[in-house]
Amino acid sequence: MRRAWRWVIAIAVAGWLPVFFIAWWWHASANSKNPYFPPLSKIWTEFKANWIFTLVPVHVVPSLINLFVGFAIAIVLGIGAGTLLGASRTGARYTEPLIDFIRSIPPVALVPIFILLLGLDAKMRIASIAFSATFPILLATIEGVRHTNPVLLETAQTFRLTNQQILWRVRVPYAKPTIFAGLQVGLQIAFVVTIASEYLGSGFGLGAFTLNATDSFLIVDAWTGVILLGVLGYALSLVFDAVERVSLRWYYGQKKLA
Amino acid sequence: MEKSVNNAITIDSVSMEYQTAGGTKRVLHDVSYQVSEGHFVSIVGPSGVGKTTLLRLLTGLATPTNGSIAVRGQELHGPPQGMAVVLQDYTRSLMPWLTVAKNIALPLKRSGLSKSEVAERVMSSLEEVGLSGSGRSYPWQLSGGMQQRVSIARAIASRPSILVMDEPFASVDAQTRFDLEDLVLKVRADFDITTLMVTHDIDEAVYLSDEIVVLRGSPAEVREVVSINIPFPRSQVASRNDPQFAHLRTHVYALVRGLE
Repeated sequence: MRRAWRWVIAIAVAGWLPVFFIAWWWHASANSKNPYFPPLSKIWTEFKANWIFTLVPVHVVPSLINLFVGFAIAIVLGIGAGTLLGASRTGARYTEPLIDFIRSIPPVALVPIFILLLGLDAKMRIASIAFSATFPILLATIEGVRHTNPVLLETAQTFRLTNQQILWRVRVPYAKPTIFAGLQVGLQIAFVVTIASEYLGSGFGLGAFTLNATDSFLIVDAWTGVILLGVLGYALSLVFDAVERVSLRWYYGQKKLA
Repeated sequence: MEKSVNNAITIDSVSMEYQTAGGTKRVLHDVSYQVSEGHFVSIVGPSGVGKTTLLRLLTGLATPTNGSIAVRGQELHGPPQGMAVVLQDYTRSLMPWLTVAKNIALPLKRSGLSKSEVAERVMSSLEEVGLSGSGRSYPWQLSGGMQQRVSIARAIASRPSILVMDEPFASVDAQTRFDLEDLVLKVRADFDITTLMVTHDIDEAVYLSDEIVVLRGSPAEVREVVSINIPFPRSQVASRNDPQFAHLRTHVYALVRGLE
Protein backbone atom coordinates (compact mmCIF):
# COMPACT_ATOMS: atom_id res chain seq x y z
CA MET A 1 0.00 0.00 0.00
CA ARG A 2 2.69 2.46 1.07
CA ARG A 3 4.76 1.38 -1.89
CA ALA A 4 1.86 1.91 -4.28
CA TRP A 5 1.42 5.43 -2.96
CA ARG A 6 5.09 6.18 -3.41
CA TRP A 7 4.74 5.13 -7.06
CA VAL A 8 1.70 7.34 -7.55
CA ILE A 9 3.56 10.31 -6.09
CA ALA A 10 6.68 9.62 -8.18
CA ILE A 11 4.65 9.46 -11.38
CA ALA A 12 2.77 12.63 -10.45
CA VAL A 13 6.03 14.49 -9.75
CA ALA A 14 7.60 13.39 -13.02
CA GLY A 15 4.45 13.68 -15.12
CA TRP A 16 2.71 16.91 -14.19
CA LEU A 17 4.82 19.18 -16.38
CA PRO A 18 4.55 17.10 -19.60
CA VAL A 19 0.79 16.73 -19.05
CA PHE A 20 0.47 20.44 -18.44
CA PHE A 21 2.56 21.21 -21.53
CA ILE A 22 0.53 18.92 -23.81
CA ALA A 23 -2.74 20.33 -22.51
CA TRP A 24 -1.50 23.88 -23.09
CA TRP A 25 -0.27 23.05 -26.60
CA TRP A 26 -3.55 21.32 -27.47
CA HIS A 27 -5.57 24.27 -26.24
CA ALA A 28 -3.39 27.07 -27.59
CA SER A 29 -3.09 25.54 -31.06
CA ALA A 30 -6.74 24.47 -31.33
CA ASN A 31 -7.78 27.31 -33.69
CA SER A 32 -4.38 27.95 -35.21
CA LYS A 33 -4.39 29.15 -38.82
CA ASN A 34 -0.59 29.46 -38.89
CA PRO A 35 0.56 26.81 -41.42
CA TYR A 36 3.80 26.23 -39.48
CA PHE A 37 2.02 25.59 -36.18
CA PRO A 38 -0.97 23.39 -37.02
CA PRO A 39 -3.40 22.32 -34.26
CA LEU A 40 -2.02 19.54 -32.10
CA SER A 41 -5.24 17.60 -32.64
CA LYS A 42 -4.43 17.49 -36.35
CA ILE A 43 -0.85 16.42 -35.67
CA TRP A 44 -2.13 13.67 -33.37
CA THR A 45 -4.54 12.32 -36.00
CA GLU A 46 -1.75 12.28 -38.56
CA PHE A 47 0.68 10.79 -36.05
CA LYS A 48 -1.64 7.82 -35.50
CA ALA A 49 -2.08 7.39 -39.26
CA ASN A 50 1.69 7.50 -39.90
CA TRP A 51 3.26 5.78 -36.95
CA ILE A 52 0.71 3.30 -35.60
CA PHE A 53 2.16 1.51 -37.51
CA THR A 54 1.86 2.08 -41.26
CA LEU A 55 5.19 3.80 -41.89
CA VAL A 56 7.22 2.15 -39.12
CA PRO A 57 8.76 -0.55 -41.39
CA VAL A 58 9.77 2.06 -43.98
CA HIS A 59 11.07 4.89 -41.85
CA VAL A 60 11.69 3.70 -38.29
CA VAL A 61 13.14 0.23 -38.71
CA PRO A 62 15.95 1.26 -41.11
CA SER A 63 16.98 4.14 -38.83
CA LEU A 64 17.06 1.93 -35.77
CA ILE A 65 18.99 -0.82 -37.56
CA ASN A 66 21.62 1.69 -38.69
CA LEU A 67 21.76 3.14 -35.19
CA PHE A 68 22.21 -0.21 -33.45
CA VAL A 69 24.71 -1.63 -35.91
CA GLY A 70 26.75 1.58 -35.91
CA PHE A 71 26.64 1.89 -32.14
CA ALA A 72 27.60 -1.77 -31.67
CA ILE A 73 30.65 -1.30 -33.90
CA ALA A 74 31.55 1.83 -31.92
CA ILE A 75 31.31 -0.10 -28.64
CA VAL A 76 33.63 -2.84 -29.85
CA LEU A 77 36.15 -0.42 -31.35
CA GLY A 78 36.01 2.11 -28.52
CA ILE A 79 36.27 -0.31 -25.62
CA GLY A 80 38.75 -2.58 -27.42
CA ALA A 81 41.18 0.12 -28.49
CA GLY A 82 40.58 2.12 -25.32
CA THR A 83 41.53 -0.83 -23.11
CA LEU A 84 44.77 -1.40 -25.00
CA LEU A 85 45.71 2.28 -25.05
CA GLY A 86 44.71 2.80 -21.42
CA ALA A 87 46.84 -0.14 -20.32
CA SER A 88 49.92 1.10 -22.15
CA ARG A 89 51.18 4.49 -21.06
CA THR A 90 53.31 5.03 -24.16
CA GLY A 91 50.52 3.89 -26.48
CA ALA A 92 48.20 6.54 -25.15
CA ARG A 93 50.88 9.22 -25.25
CA TYR A 94 51.58 8.61 -28.94
CA THR A 95 47.97 8.45 -30.05
CA GLU A 96 46.36 11.08 -27.85
CA PRO A 97 47.01 14.18 -30.01
CA LEU A 98 45.51 12.50 -33.06
CA ILE A 99 42.50 11.21 -31.12
CA ASP A 100 41.93 14.66 -29.63
CA PHE A 101 42.09 16.22 -33.09
CA ILE A 102 39.68 13.82 -34.74
CA ARG A 103 37.13 13.94 -31.96
CA SER A 104 37.16 17.76 -32.16
CA ILE A 105 35.64 17.57 -35.63
CA PRO A 106 31.84 17.90 -35.28
CA PRO A 107 30.57 14.37 -36.10
CA VAL A 108 27.98 15.55 -38.61
CA ALA A 109 30.67 17.35 -40.65
CA LEU A 110 32.17 13.99 -41.58
CA VAL A 111 29.03 12.65 -43.24
CA PRO A 112 29.85 14.24 -46.66
CA ILE A 113 33.31 12.63 -46.56
CA PHE A 114 31.77 9.25 -45.87
CA ILE A 115 29.36 9.77 -48.77
CA LEU A 116 32.35 10.46 -51.00
CA LEU A 117 34.08 7.30 -49.81
CA LEU A 118 31.18 4.90 -49.45
CA GLY A 119 28.33 6.24 -51.55
CA LEU A 120 24.77 6.85 -50.44
CA ASP A 121 23.65 3.55 -48.98
CA ALA A 122 23.34 2.09 -45.48
CA LYS A 123 27.06 1.28 -45.44
CA MET A 124 27.86 5.00 -45.40
CA ARG A 125 25.32 5.74 -42.70
CA ILE A 126 26.53 2.94 -40.45
CA ALA A 127 30.14 3.98 -40.96
CA SER A 128 29.32 7.60 -40.05
CA ILE A 129 27.47 6.52 -36.92
CA ALA A 130 30.17 4.07 -35.84
CA PHE A 131 33.00 6.52 -36.47
CA SER A 132 31.49 9.43 -34.54
CA ALA A 133 30.27 7.33 -31.61
CA THR A 134 33.62 5.57 -31.19
CA PHE A 135 35.51 8.58 -29.86
CA PRO A 136 33.62 9.35 -26.65
CA ILE A 137 33.71 5.62 -25.83
CA LEU A 138 37.41 5.36 -26.68
CA LEU A 139 38.37 8.38 -24.57
CA ALA A 140 36.30 7.31 -21.58
CA THR A 141 37.78 3.81 -21.70
CA ILE A 142 41.36 5.11 -21.89
CA GLU A 143 40.66 7.42 -18.96
CA GLY A 144 38.99 4.74 -16.85
CA VAL A 145 41.51 1.98 -17.51
CA ARG A 146 44.47 4.27 -16.96
CA HIS A 147 43.40 5.67 -13.60
CA THR A 148 42.81 2.50 -11.62
CA ASN A 149 43.00 3.05 -7.89
CA PRO A 150 46.67 2.36 -6.96
CA VAL A 151 45.70 0.44 -3.81
CA LEU A 152 43.72 -2.05 -5.92
CA LEU A 153 46.60 -2.39 -8.37
CA GLU A 154 49.13 -3.06 -5.60
CA THR A 155 46.75 -5.52 -3.98
CA ALA A 156 46.48 -7.36 -7.30
CA GLN A 157 50.28 -7.34 -7.62
CA THR A 158 50.65 -8.99 -4.23
CA PHE A 159 48.38 -11.78 -5.57
CA ARG A 160 51.05 -12.26 -8.26
CA LEU A 161 48.42 -11.91 -10.98
CA THR A 162 49.79 -11.56 -14.51
CA ASN A 163 49.49 -8.19 -16.27
CA GLN A 164 46.74 -9.69 -18.43
CA GLN A 165 44.82 -10.86 -15.38
CA ILE A 166 45.24 -7.46 -13.74
CA LEU A 167 43.96 -5.76 -16.90
CA TRP A 168 40.81 -7.88 -17.29
CA ARG A 169 40.03 -8.59 -13.66
CA VAL A 170 40.93 -5.25 -12.05
CA ARG A 171 41.51 -2.39 -14.47
CA VAL A 172 38.57 -2.96 -16.83
CA PRO A 173 35.95 -3.66 -14.13
CA TYR A 174 37.20 -0.64 -12.20
CA ALA A 175 36.79 1.47 -15.36
CA LYS A 176 33.22 0.32 -16.01
CA PRO A 177 31.42 3.36 -14.54
CA THR A 178 33.66 5.69 -16.59
CA ILE A 179 33.13 3.56 -19.71
CA PHE A 180 29.37 3.79 -19.24
CA ALA A 181 29.59 7.59 -19.13
CA GLY A 182 31.34 7.40 -22.52
CA LEU A 183 28.72 5.00 -23.85
CA GLN A 184 25.96 7.43 -22.93
CA VAL A 185 27.59 10.29 -24.84
CA GLY A 186 28.32 7.90 -27.71
CA LEU A 187 24.68 6.84 -27.93
CA GLN A 188 23.50 10.47 -28.08
CA ILE A 189 25.96 11.23 -30.85
CA ALA A 190 24.99 8.05 -32.69
CA PHE A 191 21.35 9.13 -32.61
CA VAL A 192 22.14 12.58 -33.98
CA VAL A 193 24.30 11.16 -36.77
CA THR A 194 21.69 8.52 -37.61
CA ILE A 195 19.19 11.27 -38.42
CA ALA A 196 21.70 13.64 -40.03
CA SER A 197 23.04 10.90 -42.30
CA GLU A 198 19.54 10.45 -43.70
CA TYR A 199 19.26 14.09 -44.74
CA LEU A 200 21.38 13.29 -47.77
CA GLY A 201 20.37 10.95 -50.56
CA SER A 202 17.97 8.76 -48.67
CA GLY A 203 14.34 7.93 -49.20
CA PHE A 204 14.09 5.95 -46.00
CA GLY A 205 14.48 6.75 -42.34
CA LEU A 206 13.09 9.34 -39.99
CA GLY A 207 15.62 11.99 -41.01
CA ALA A 208 14.65 11.58 -44.66
CA PHE A 209 10.96 11.53 -43.81
CA THR A 210 11.08 14.76 -41.82
CA LEU A 211 13.20 16.58 -44.39
CA ASN A 212 11.06 15.43 -47.32
CA ALA A 213 7.90 16.47 -45.46
CA THR A 214 9.13 20.03 -44.94
CA ASP A 215 10.39 20.19 -48.53
CA SER A 216 6.92 19.19 -49.76
CA PHE A 217 5.28 21.60 -47.33
CA LEU A 218 3.65 18.73 -45.42
CA ILE A 219 4.09 20.55 -42.12
CA VAL A 220 1.82 18.24 -40.12
CA ASP A 221 3.82 15.23 -41.27
CA ALA A 222 7.05 16.97 -40.34
CA TRP A 223 5.69 17.60 -36.85
CA THR A 224 4.76 13.96 -36.42
CA GLY A 225 8.32 13.01 -37.40
CA VAL A 226 9.86 15.40 -34.90
CA ILE A 227 7.61 14.17 -32.09
CA LEU A 228 8.42 10.54 -32.90
CA LEU A 229 12.14 11.37 -32.80
CA GLY A 230 11.66 12.84 -29.35
CA VAL A 231 9.81 9.74 -28.19
CA LEU A 232 12.49 7.44 -29.64
CA GLY A 233 15.34 9.44 -28.11
CA TYR A 234 13.64 9.38 -24.73
CA ALA A 235 12.98 5.64 -24.98
CA LEU A 236 16.62 5.02 -25.92
CA SER A 237 17.87 6.87 -22.87
CA LEU A 238 15.44 4.97 -20.63
CA VAL A 239 16.69 1.65 -21.97
CA PHE A 240 20.29 2.80 -21.59
CA ASP A 241 19.71 3.84 -17.97
CA ALA A 242 18.13 0.48 -17.21
CA VAL A 243 21.07 -1.43 -18.70
CA GLU A 244 23.51 0.78 -16.80
CA ARG A 245 21.69 0.29 -13.49
CA VAL A 246 21.89 -3.47 -13.88
CA SER A 247 25.50 -3.58 -15.08
CA LEU A 248 26.75 -1.18 -12.40
CA ARG A 249 24.66 -2.41 -9.50
CA TRP A 250 27.77 -2.59 -7.32
CA TYR A 251 28.71 0.98 -8.19
CA TYR A 252 25.34 2.51 -7.37
CA GLY A 253 24.92 0.31 -4.31
CA GLN A 254 28.25 1.49 -2.97
CA LYS A 255 27.48 5.12 -3.77
CA LYS A 256 24.15 4.94 -2.00
CA LEU A 257 25.84 3.80 1.22
CA ALA A 258 28.76 6.23 1.05
CA MET B 1 75.14 -13.85 10.82
CA GLU B 2 72.78 -16.58 12.05
CA LYS B 3 71.87 -19.59 10.01
CA SER B 4 69.66 -18.05 7.35
CA VAL B 5 67.66 -21.30 7.08
CA ASN B 6 65.64 -20.29 10.12
CA ASN B 7 64.91 -16.84 8.79
CA ALA B 8 61.68 -16.23 6.94
CA ILE B 9 62.83 -12.78 5.87
CA THR B 10 66.36 -11.36 5.87
CA ILE B 11 66.75 -7.60 5.61
CA ASP B 12 70.38 -6.79 4.83
CA SER B 13 71.68 -3.19 5.13
CA VAL B 14 68.66 -1.75 3.36
CA SER B 15 68.52 1.94 2.50
CA MET B 16 65.77 3.72 0.65
CA GLU B 17 65.84 7.11 -1.05
CA TYR B 18 63.13 9.05 -2.82
CA GLN B 19 63.56 11.78 -5.38
CA THR B 20 61.49 14.77 -4.30
CA ALA B 21 61.19 18.33 -5.56
CA GLY B 22 63.68 19.38 -2.86
CA GLY B 23 66.26 16.75 -3.88
CA THR B 24 66.98 13.28 -2.61
CA LYS B 25 65.22 12.24 0.56
CA ARG B 26 66.69 9.32 2.46
CA VAL B 27 63.93 7.50 4.33
CA LEU B 28 65.68 4.37 5.60
CA HIS B 29 69.35 4.03 6.45
CA ASP B 30 71.22 0.75 6.76
CA VAL B 31 68.34 -1.29 8.19
CA SER B 32 69.22 -4.91 8.98
CA TYR B 33 66.94 -7.41 10.66
CA GLN B 34 66.00 -11.05 10.45
CA VAL B 35 62.45 -12.28 10.89
CA SER B 36 62.61 -15.76 12.42
CA GLU B 37 60.40 -18.48 11.02
CA GLY B 38 57.04 -18.58 12.81
CA HIS B 39 57.53 -15.34 14.70
CA PHE B 40 55.08 -12.48 15.04
CA VAL B 41 57.03 -9.25 14.51
CA SER B 42 55.69 -5.72 14.80
CA ILE B 43 57.37 -2.66 13.34
CA VAL B 44 56.70 0.50 15.35
CA GLY B 45 58.01 4.03 15.26
CA PRO B 46 56.86 7.66 15.21
CA SER B 47 54.46 8.57 12.40
CA GLY B 48 56.16 9.31 9.12
CA VAL B 49 59.33 7.47 10.13
CA GLY B 50 59.22 5.06 7.20
CA LYS B 51 57.37 2.01 8.56
CA THR B 52 55.16 1.71 5.51
CA THR B 53 58.16 2.24 3.21
CA LEU B 54 59.91 -0.69 4.89
CA LEU B 55 56.77 -2.79 4.51
CA ARG B 56 56.51 -1.97 0.81
CA LEU B 57 60.10 -3.13 0.39
CA LEU B 58 59.37 -6.37 2.27
CA THR B 59 56.41 -7.16 0.05
CA GLY B 60 58.34 -6.52 -3.15
CA LEU B 61 56.07 -3.62 -4.12
CA ALA B 62 59.14 -1.36 -4.02
CA THR B 63 62.87 -2.01 -4.46
CA PRO B 64 65.47 -0.69 -2.01
CA THR B 65 68.07 1.84 -3.19
CA ASN B 66 70.82 -0.13 -1.42
CA GLY B 67 71.01 -3.46 0.32
CA SER B 68 68.87 -6.50 -0.25
CA ILE B 69 65.88 -8.35 1.09
CA ALA B 70 65.53 -12.11 0.88
CA VAL B 71 62.52 -14.28 1.60
CA ARG B 72 63.58 -17.84 2.53
CA GLY B 73 67.00 -17.14 1.06
CA GLN B 74 65.59 -15.93 -2.28
CA GLU B 75 66.30 -12.32 -3.09
CA LEU B 76 63.12 -10.34 -3.75
CA HIS B 77 62.10 -9.27 -7.22
CA GLY B 78 58.46 -8.31 -6.95
CA PRO B 79 55.89 -9.86 -4.60
CA PRO B 80 57.11 -13.34 -3.59
CA GLN B 81 55.19 -16.57 -3.60
CA GLY B 82 53.81 -17.66 -0.25
CA MET B 83 53.37 -14.15 1.10
CA ALA B 84 49.99 -12.52 1.65
CA VAL B 85 49.48 -8.84 2.30
CA VAL B 86 46.71 -7.03 4.17
CA LEU B 87 46.70 -3.31 3.50
CA GLN B 88 45.43 -0.66 5.86
CA ASP B 89 42.82 0.70 3.54
CA TYR B 90 40.40 -2.21 3.37
CA THR B 91 37.69 -0.09 1.78
CA ARG B 92 39.95 0.34 -1.23
CA SER B 93 41.74 -3.01 -1.26
CA LEU B 94 38.63 -5.15 -1.76
CA MET B 95 37.19 -5.14 -5.28
CA PRO B 96 33.75 -3.51 -4.95
CA TRP B 97 32.41 -5.24 -8.08
CA LEU B 98 33.06 -8.72 -6.70
CA THR B 99 31.14 -10.51 -3.98
CA VAL B 100 32.99 -11.43 -0.81
CA ALA B 101 33.46 -15.00 -2.05
CA LYS B 102 34.85 -13.87 -5.41
CA ASN B 103 37.17 -11.40 -3.71
CA ILE B 104 38.60 -14.24 -1.65
CA ALA B 105 38.96 -16.42 -4.76
CA LEU B 106 40.84 -13.73 -6.72
CA PRO B 107 44.35 -14.47 -5.35
CA LEU B 108 43.83 -18.15 -6.22
CA LYS B 109 43.66 -17.41 -9.97
CA ARG B 110 47.24 -18.50 -10.44
CA SER B 111 47.21 -21.31 -7.90
CA GLY B 112 46.18 -24.04 -10.34
CA LEU B 113 43.45 -25.20 -7.96
CA SER B 114 40.29 -26.69 -9.44
CA LYS B 115 36.98 -24.90 -9.23
CA SER B 116 35.74 -27.06 -6.38
CA GLU B 117 39.03 -26.70 -4.51
CA VAL B 118 38.77 -22.91 -4.83
CA ALA B 119 35.19 -23.01 -3.54
CA GLU B 120 36.33 -25.14 -0.62
CA ARG B 121 39.18 -22.71 0.19
CA VAL B 122 36.78 -19.77 0.08
CA MET B 123 34.38 -21.53 2.44
CA SER B 124 37.04 -22.55 4.94
CA SER B 125 38.66 -19.10 4.86
CA LEU B 126 35.33 -17.43 5.56
CA GLU B 127 34.71 -19.87 8.36
CA GLU B 128 38.13 -19.14 9.86
CA VAL B 129 37.31 -15.42 10.17
CA GLY B 130 33.73 -16.05 11.35
CA LEU B 131 31.93 -14.84 8.22
CA SER B 132 30.46 -18.11 6.92
CA GLY B 133 27.18 -16.52 5.86
CA SER B 134 28.58 -13.49 4.02
CA GLY B 135 30.06 -14.99 0.85
CA ARG B 136 27.36 -13.61 -1.41
CA SER B 137 27.37 -10.10 0.03
CA TYR B 138 29.35 -7.28 -1.54
CA PRO B 139 32.16 -5.85 0.60
CA TRP B 140 30.54 -2.43 0.80
CA GLN B 141 27.45 -3.98 2.36
CA LEU B 142 29.54 -5.02 5.40
CA SER B 143 30.80 -3.05 8.39
CA GLY B 144 34.43 -1.91 8.52
CA GLY B 145 35.42 -4.69 10.90
CA MET B 146 33.76 -7.31 8.69
CA GLN B 147 35.49 -5.91 5.60
CA GLN B 148 38.83 -6.26 7.34
CA ARG B 149 37.90 -9.85 8.23
CA VAL B 150 37.27 -10.41 4.53
CA SER B 151 40.73 -9.12 3.64
CA ILE B 152 42.21 -11.45 6.27
CA ALA B 153 40.21 -14.34 4.78
CA ARG B 154 41.46 -13.38 1.33
CA ALA B 155 45.03 -13.31 2.66
CA ILE B 156 44.84 -16.81 4.17
CA ALA B 157 42.97 -18.31 1.20
CA SER B 158 46.27 -18.86 -0.62
CA ARG B 159 47.64 -20.60 2.51
CA PRO B 160 50.62 -18.27 2.80
CA SER B 161 53.56 -18.99 5.07
CA ILE B 162 54.15 -15.27 5.60
CA LEU B 163 51.49 -12.66 6.35
CA VAL B 164 52.32 -8.95 6.12
CA MET B 165 49.90 -6.32 7.44
CA ASP B 166 50.06 -2.53 7.26
CA GLU B 167 48.18 -0.98 10.20
CA PRO B 168 45.41 -3.49 9.65
CA PHE B 169 43.15 -2.26 12.43
CA ALA B 170 43.75 1.48 12.17
CA SER B 171 40.25 2.44 11.13
CA VAL B 172 37.96 0.24 13.24
CA ASP B 173 36.50 0.91 16.69
CA ALA B 174 38.21 -0.31 19.86
CA GLN B 175 36.02 -3.37 20.50
CA THR B 176 36.33 -4.56 16.89
CA ARG B 177 40.05 -3.98 17.15
CA PHE B 178 40.37 -6.40 20.09
CA ASP B 179 38.33 -8.99 18.21
CA LEU B 180 40.48 -8.65 15.11
CA GLU B 181 43.70 -8.86 17.16
CA ASP B 182 42.54 -12.16 18.62
CA LEU B 183 41.47 -13.32 15.17
CA VAL B 184 44.97 -12.66 13.86
CA LEU B 185 46.49 -14.62 16.76
CA LYS B 186 44.14 -17.51 16.03
CA VAL B 187 44.90 -17.48 12.30
CA ARG B 188 48.59 -17.39 12.99
CA ALA B 189 48.35 -20.35 15.39
CA ASP B 190 46.02 -22.36 13.10
CA PHE B 191 48.18 -21.99 10.01
CA ASP B 192 51.60 -21.48 11.63
CA ILE B 193 52.18 -18.24 9.70
CA THR B 194 55.16 -15.94 10.13
CA THR B 195 53.52 -12.56 10.65
CA LEU B 196 54.83 -9.05 10.16
CA MET B 197 52.78 -6.03 11.11
CA VAL B 198 53.29 -2.30 10.93
CA THR B 199 51.35 -0.47 13.64
CA HIS B 200 51.34 2.81 15.50
CA ASP B 201 49.58 1.21 18.45
CA ILE B 202 52.19 0.15 21.00
CA ASP B 203 49.76 -1.82 23.20
CA GLU B 204 48.69 -3.78 20.17
CA ALA B 205 52.29 -4.46 19.19
CA VAL B 206 53.14 -5.76 22.68
CA TYR B 207 49.97 -7.84 22.86
CA LEU B 208 50.52 -9.60 19.54
CA SER B 209 54.27 -9.87 19.03
CA ASP B 210 57.21 -12.11 19.75
CA GLU B 211 59.47 -9.23 18.80
CA ILE B 212 59.07 -5.51 18.21
CA VAL B 213 61.35 -3.57 15.89
CA VAL B 214 61.54 0.11 16.83
CA LEU B 215 62.43 2.46 13.98
CA ARG B 216 63.62 5.97 14.79
CA GLY B 217 65.36 8.91 13.22
CA SER B 218 65.48 10.58 9.85
CA PRO B 219 66.54 8.63 7.89
CA ALA B 220 65.14 5.84 10.03
CA GLU B 221 67.36 3.20 11.58
CA VAL B 222 66.58 0.22 13.80
CA ARG B 223 66.69 1.79 17.25
CA GLU B 224 66.15 -1.43 19.16
CA VAL B 225 64.65 -4.90 18.84
CA VAL B 226 62.51 -5.71 21.87
CA SER B 227 61.67 -9.32 22.75
CA ILE B 228 58.21 -9.87 24.21
CA ASN B 229 58.36 -12.77 26.64
CA ILE B 230 54.70 -12.90 27.58
CA PRO B 231 53.56 -16.52 27.18
CA PHE B 232 51.25 -17.69 24.39
CA PRO B 233 48.34 -18.23 24.00
CA ARG B 234 47.60 -14.66 24.91
CA SER B 235 44.31 -13.23 26.06
CA GLN B 236 43.07 -9.67 26.17
CA VAL B 237 42.52 -9.85 29.94
CA ALA B 238 45.34 -12.00 31.30
CA SER B 239 48.12 -10.93 28.96
CA ARG B 240 47.41 -7.24 29.32
CA ASN B 241 47.49 -7.70 33.12
CA ASP B 242 50.84 -9.47 33.02
CA PRO B 243 53.32 -7.30 34.96
CA GLN B 244 55.67 -7.68 31.98
CA PHE B 245 53.09 -6.04 29.74
CA ALA B 246 53.17 -2.68 31.51
CA HIS B 247 56.91 -2.75 31.70
CA LEU B 248 57.35 -3.57 28.01
CA ARG B 249 54.83 -1.08 26.73
CA THR B 250 56.50 1.68 28.77
CA HIS B 251 59.87 0.68 27.41
CA VAL B 252 58.69 0.61 23.78
CA TYR B 253 56.79 3.85 24.24
CA ALA B 254 59.92 5.56 25.56
CA LEU B 255 61.92 4.23 22.58
CA VAL B 256 59.38 5.47 20.05
CA ARG B 257 59.19 8.86 21.74
CA GLY B 258 62.97 9.11 21.96
CA LEU B 259 62.94 9.27 25.77
CA GLU B 260 65.39 6.41 26.12
